[in-house]
Amino acid sequence: MNMEAINQTPLMEARNLSKVYEDGVRALDELNLIVKPGEIFSMLGGNGAGKTTTINIFLDFIQPSSGNAFINGIDANEQPLEAKKHVAFVSENVQLYPNFTAMQNIDFFTRLGGRSDYNRNDYEAALTRVGLQSSAFDKKLKDFSKGMRQKCGIAIAILKDSPAILLDEPTSGLDPKAGREFTKLIGELRDEGKGILMSTHDVFRAKEISDHVGILNNGVLVTHRTRSELTGVNLEELYVEYMAGYMDESTATLTNDLDHV
Amino acid sequence: MFSIIFLKELKEIIQSSRFTISFAVCSVLIILSFVMGAQNYLSSKAQYEAALQENRNQIAANTNWISVNHTIMLPPQPLMALVSGVSNDVGRDIEMRGRGELRADNTRFNDEPIFAIFRFMDLEFIFGVILSLFAIIFAYDAINGEKIRGTLKLCFSNSLPRASYIGGKLAGSFVGLSIALMIPILIGCLLLPVLGVNLTSEEWGKLSLILLSGLAYFGVFLGIAMTISATTKLPSSSFLICLVIWIAGVLIVPRASVLVSGRLVEVPNVDEIAAQKSRYRAQLWTEDQPKLSNFSVPEGTPMQEVFPKFNAFMSELSDERQKKIDAFEQRLNEDYQNKNLSRQRLALGISRISPTSLFTLAITNLSGTSLELENRYKEESAKYQTTYASFMEEKTGQSGGGGIRMVFRTNDDNQEPPPTLDPNEMPAFEFESASLAEGLSGSMLDLGLLFLLNIIFFGTAFSAFLRYDLR
Repeated sequence: MNMEAINQTPLMEARNLSKVYEDGVRALDELNLIVKPGEIFSMLGGNGAGKTTTINIFLDFIQPSSGNAFINGIDANEQPLEAKKHVAFVSENVQLYPNFTAMQNIDFFTRLGGRSDYNRNDYEAALTRVGLQSSAFDKKLKDFSKGMRQKCGIAIAILKDSPAILLDEPTSGLDPKAGREFTKLIGELRDEGKGILMSTHDVFRAKEISDHVGILNNGVLVTHRTRSELTGVNLEELYVEYMAGYMDESTATLTNDLDHV
Repeated sequence: MFSIIFLKELKEIIQSSRFTISFAVCSVLIILSFVMGAQNYLSSKAQYEAALQENRNQIAANTNWISVNHTIMLPPQPLMALVSGVSNDVGRDIEMRGRGELRADNTRFNDEPIFAIFRFMDLEFIFGVILSLFAIIFAYDAINGEKIRGTLKLCFSNSLPRASYIGGKLAGSFVGLSIALMIPILIGCLLLPVLGVNLTSEEWGKLSLILLSGLAYFGVFLGIAMTISATTKLPSSSFLICLVIWIAGVLIVPRASVLVSGRLVEVPNVDEIAAQKSRYRAQLWTEDQPKLSNFSVPEGTPMQEVFPKFNAFMSELSDERQKKIDAFEQRLNEDYQNKNLSRQRLALGISRISPTSLFTLAITNLSGTSLELENRYKEESAKYQTTYASFMEEKTGQSGGGGIRMVFRTNDDNQEPPPTLDPNEMPAFEFESASLAEGLSGSMLDLGLLFLLNIIFFGTAFSAFLRYDLR
């Protein structure tokens, strides 16, 4: 964790965030989390745990039933257009426009993100940085692999140059090499001072890169650990146990203190 | 933001394989329809001119106006070839008589019945059937397809107002697809003079309005597809719904409206009316036959004087009979026309639920090939009938209304043969097609409804998207 981050204003904050869907399903229950500049917060959890719901509330795709989500201090649901100026988003399965080339996609989304001051060199630099081969720059996305599309998604986020980044299961479906490159890139962005909130199933990468890890189960943040608290902890075991709902947080802490990786 | 989305949409459409295919199909069909239309027009024009010449030759070969069988013809118009409407169903030839009911015969479908089965590939067909289908194919997944692809979420992770997005998308789609239409249409228009079809400025005006109607019609289906796409989750569902709407709007409603109105308003059969007329004519003729014995001339009257007197006597009988026939037929015709008009109005009213009907009615009115064409031709020929009757009266002493005539001829080998007739003396039949103003006023309601439907469906697509679940 970047120590300077500790006293800074949170880039993303969920304050008592709850969401109950119309069918009565409680997707989020009093979620509280803070992401400061230079931090990566990973939300772990199974399907339906509330990870994507949290991201959807931050992006104002759904309204919370109660509580607030803030991006750079701006309520994401009350002033969504203003809040979204300060956040970039990379989804689980970046598809982009298949009939557009990588350059055209980047150009469109960058302009949409409010940046019209870039030129082709800037786009090329961003694509090179994310590891896309130059021969692919002017190829249509329909010929791209998932990893290549994901790189384009990251390039778009980089070019938006917003302080906060939301990642929805970004490494899902990537091969180990692409996953590793992705993790490295996320680390670089964190080192540049970006605050990153990431939902993931990938326990190992979460432990490797995150400054905070929160485990969600049925909409409840059942545990929240900092990087230092995770040292020597078998995160996978911890995760499985929480997911199974066998333990309350105090028991889990005790058990994990005894476990060493 | 609007312009970014607009340009993206434009680019995306133009770069898609759907566009390439539809542009190719549109280009071939539209250009073909212009070329075929031009060729049809030129060949109809040549036939018309040949028939006119034949008419003149026939007059010139005669020595007596009484023996002349004069036929008037509906002249072909260039726009009829582009929007055929009812022009091929209307009888083109009318055998002219100085009195009595005129009857138009020889429709194009009489000559070429195959066209009655498969109809023509004119602008009405291309816009009405093919381009409306293209509009659906392009827009059925405009919104839900983006959602499935994940691009919708990515777009709205930026500070993008929904109104800008849907506005840009609607405008971009409309303009993008209009390009696919306008390029071949422009080429087709340029080809017309090259192919020898010279339109007047009024006809260019009408053609421009026809194309504008086509775009408005296209916009309706685009709006419908966008609305469906913004209210369904899956592209497969929206495609199915759009297809059902298309089938109902394009194929079912126009036909069903005629069937329904036929059931609701009973109109006497044309053959039944013709039989009634024929019976009445026969009855009057039977009544007149005993009167023939009343004709007498003083003994010793020279034959040269007998025939004109007989003709005058017969003419008098015939005139009286014709008056009765005219009055009777007028009653029958009025009754038929009133009922037919009620049925027609009902059918048109019902059919206006369908944008295809609105489009067809608008462009046939503009091109002068609507149901009005037949009435107009009848009116014009009825006007001409008066001129013709006066002319025949002047030339022969009779109106040229048919009936029994006796002609007395003496043969003297030494006498000079009588001079042949001058065809230029026969008054020419001039058919005046509907003017631009008339066409526009006739199509105003349907054009207005088409534009209203555009506003409605673009509006519903807009409002549906404002409530659309972006996740």
